[in-house]
Amino acid sequence: MIRSYLAEATPSFAWRNRLGNWRTEIFAGFVGAILVIPQGITFAYLAGLQPEYGLYCAIFVTLFCSVFGTSSMMSGPNTAVAILIGTAVLPLAGRGSPVYIDFVFLLCLMVGAIQLLFWLMRGARIFQYLSPAAISGISAGAGFLIIMASLDSILDLSTFKTTFFYEKIYVIVSDARDLVNPYSLFIGLCTIAGGYIGRRFSPRYFIIIAVTTGYLSGLLVAFIWPQPVTELEYLGRMPIEWLPLHLPTINMEYLMMSTMLIPYAITIAFIGLAQSLVIVRELKMETDQDINLDKEVYAQGLANLLAPFFSSFAGAGSFNRTKANQSLGATTPFSGIASAGFVLVLITFLGPILTYMPMAAMAGTLFIVGADMIKWRDIKHYAQVRAELVIYLATFISIMFFGLATGVVVAVFLSVSVFMLRISQLELSVEPIESGVLLKVKGALFYASLAHLTEKFHSHVGKNLTIDLQFTTHIDQSAVDFFIRESRNMAAQGVRLTLLINEKQGHFLKKMGVNSDIELVAV
Amino acid sequence: MLAINFIRRLFLVALLISVPIAGLAQQGQPSIQQLLQEPFLDDYYSNVVYGYEIVTDTQANASRYVGNSLNCSNCHLQAGTQQEALPLNVAGMYPKWRAKNGKRNGIGLRIRECFLYSMDGIMPPEDAPEVLAISAYISYLSQGQIMGAEPEGRGVPTLPDTGYDPNPATGRAVYLEQCASCHGAQGEGVAGMPPVWGLNSYNKGAGMHDIREAAGFIWANMPLGNGKSLTHQQALDVSAYLNLQIRPSDPRDSKFLKLLEHLIN
Ligand code: HEC
Ligand code: HEC
Repeated sequence: MIRSYLAEATPSFAWRNRLGNWRTEIFAGFVGAILVIPQGITFAYLAGLQPEYGLYCAIFVTLFCSVFGTSSMMSGPNTAVAILIGTAVLPLAGRGSPVYIDFVFLLCLMVGAIQLLFWLMRGARIFQYLSPAAISGISAGAGFLIIMASLDSILDLSTFKTTFFYEKIYVIVSDARDLVNPYSLFIGLCTIAGGYIGRRFSPRYFIIIAVTTGYLSGLLVAFIWPQPVTELEYLGRMPIEWLPLHLPTINMEYLMMSTMLIPYAITIAFIGLAQSLVIVRELKMETDQDINLDKEVYAQGLANLLAPFFSSFAGAGSFNRTKANQSLGATTPFSGIASAGFVLVLITFLGPILTYMPMAAMAGTLFIVGADMIKWRDIKHYAQVRAELVIYLATFISIMFFGLATGVVVAVFLSVSVFMLRISQLELSVEPIESGVLLKVKGALFYASLAHLTEKFHSHVGKNLTIDLQFTTHIDQSAVDFFIRESRNMAAQGVRLTLLINEKQGHFLKKMGVNSDIELVAV
Repeated sequence: MLAINFIRRLFLVALLISVPIAGLAQQGQPSIQQLLQEPFLDDYYSNVVYGYEIVTDTQANASRYVGNSLNCSNCHLQAGTQQEALPLNVAGMYPKWRAKNGKRNGIGLRIRECFLYSMDGIMPPEDAPEVLAISAYISYLSQGQIMGAEPEGRGVPTLPDTGYDPNPATGRAVYLEQCASCHGAQGEGVAGMPPVWGLNSYNKGAGMHDIREAAGFIWANMPLGNGKSLTHQQALDVSAYLNLQIRPSDPRDSKFLKLLEHLIN
């Protein structure tokens, strides 16, 4: 037991033997690094932090996750996680202020610890209950939030708080002449246009085309008008260190205030793992990588737990980067490790150029990323099954109005409800036989599904009943209690209850105290 | 909308300042040294400390927006607490009506301008954490000042008219004699001393690039530790000499030059 945990807790590097084509892996890592840089910067913005924290996240979370993990999944800065960090910490301190950063690190420590707890409790299975519709709904909702957040920078509004998105749209529209910065809007639109046109030519690297277009249009604007006129917001110099060690501040006051963060920590831990595991599971199905789900949970948890010690915030698996990685032929965690290294090198050399990156260009790419997360295909796909559509839409709409955290709770609640509804459905067939009535039960017999069975019992009062339990997948205590109760009633009326069971069920029923009122027939 | 965040903060600050005044009239606020020792600070005081750290070590704490090798406290001496050396206890003077753009300009804009010109960097956004922290620090320094009243020793002294034009040639002599030991013969600054010209100094749009402003500063404060030892005319001369030297261009006019400078730097 302990040994198996220990084996999971140490990096296995089992992929070394499969590392036939290390050139492919390194190239995939290089592309991954280029893709992650704009994401790290913009997601740091979503989390309310300075851009370098996002880059550290792209370096260290990716690195730890790949070193301890078993798959070619690219972990790192993640939209939903970043948005949730922002919503969690913003009530406690001003964006990017020292206290804010302390709380973000504290929150990430909690997230990592909770995820490790999931690992210890073999929690990877839980995530199978989250329906795919819920995950798509969450992703679409996050996309919507990203679009709204990107408007701040595209229009150069200073962050103002509105409760609902339509208020924000109303304020922007009604006060456009005063609020909107035309230079910023121009750069933002150039970026978005660049992205969508670029996609025609290169569906994989269009984000890079978008960023470049935005940067060049920013240079053009800066060439004609000076900054005091345009009031453009730039990325600025990024003081990147190669080893940004940092000891998170923990003291009584912080701990007391951080109780407010616990619900968010749980939500982030959950949503982060859910996304990572969906990715990993897909990889496992589509490729022949030797993937261990529990080990992936451990890797993600440990990466997030260590993140604050390296000045970075929590992350999770990234769909788009993993896909790019896969299509470039990477099959081992080595591509992730390479990507972490390339981010460091690239930032060191690109730093001076990035200084004059307009935030509007970054926000334009954010807009594209957000718009990509709301997929028509998904809606059409889920529209075929009503329950799925309800989950998808309810999740999406509650995120639009009440934020990501509430949306996640709604998604989980609905998924579990639909799941429960489904498995509490019994398949019952009634056949008259010479001694009375034969009832065949298919499905799981437990407290939620008993009501169904009770109905059938009551419509055959006064007859001998034979229940065929051979195709019943599960019997719980309340079902046994139910049989005992009914058999007693039936005995009083002079009829008998017979159960057709298999050996295992027989053991269980005897243990639960089935008496002679019930006739047990082993088949 | 731009200012709302800031006004909210100012309001908070005003509240924080007015409560002790109303209740316990004599009780001052904790000193920066005390705050630095405190293990836990609330949002306001942590921003004050952060602001203090930015002002005293801009290179380390706000390098994102800085383009030269100066710190705020190189000009705002003693972390902005010294009179006649551009003290920062001026929260009460803002927001200020400016006819030029028909807007009320808050302290935030002033701070951002010093980043753009004096620090030869880029203008941070209005709500950048660094700007908010510095404004918190400025509010902290301004405790006890009367709103709208000019604090004593604000800015630098205005030198009286000496009757002679500033003469850079005599200024050069003064510089080599009095200043070069600290600021270097090429104005490049020696270890621990800031440069006074060259590409690592303030640019041509900075307040210090104004001969009279710089002369006032130099007369009152330089040579460091021996202020007011120069005559008014010497201060004007040396200031005119400094003004003739190479420094980064004004970001408002030569875009191309600016770009080149950034590429070289
Ligand atoms: C090269 C010297 C220099 C540096 C460095 C410098 N400043 Fe200034 N600052 C000035 C001068 C000169 C003035 C006043 C001139 C004017 O108003 O145009 C001034 C004025 C100010 C004022 C307004 C003071 C008042 O009396 O209204 C503030 C606030 C300010 N600076 C903040 C900063 C901050 C913050 C930094 C660091 C990021 C900084 N300055 C760096 C030279 C400098
Ligand atoms: C004892 C060394 C010393 C001497 C001599 C000296 N300075 Fe300075 N000077 C400093 C220091 C140190 C600072 C920065 C103040 C701080 O950080 O506290 C400074 C700041 C300045 C600044 C503003 C910051 C900047 O870099 O632009 C100017 C202008 C300046 N000095 C000009 C002069 C002139 C002119 C003289 C000659 C009259 C002079 N100094 C003599 C040490 C000196």
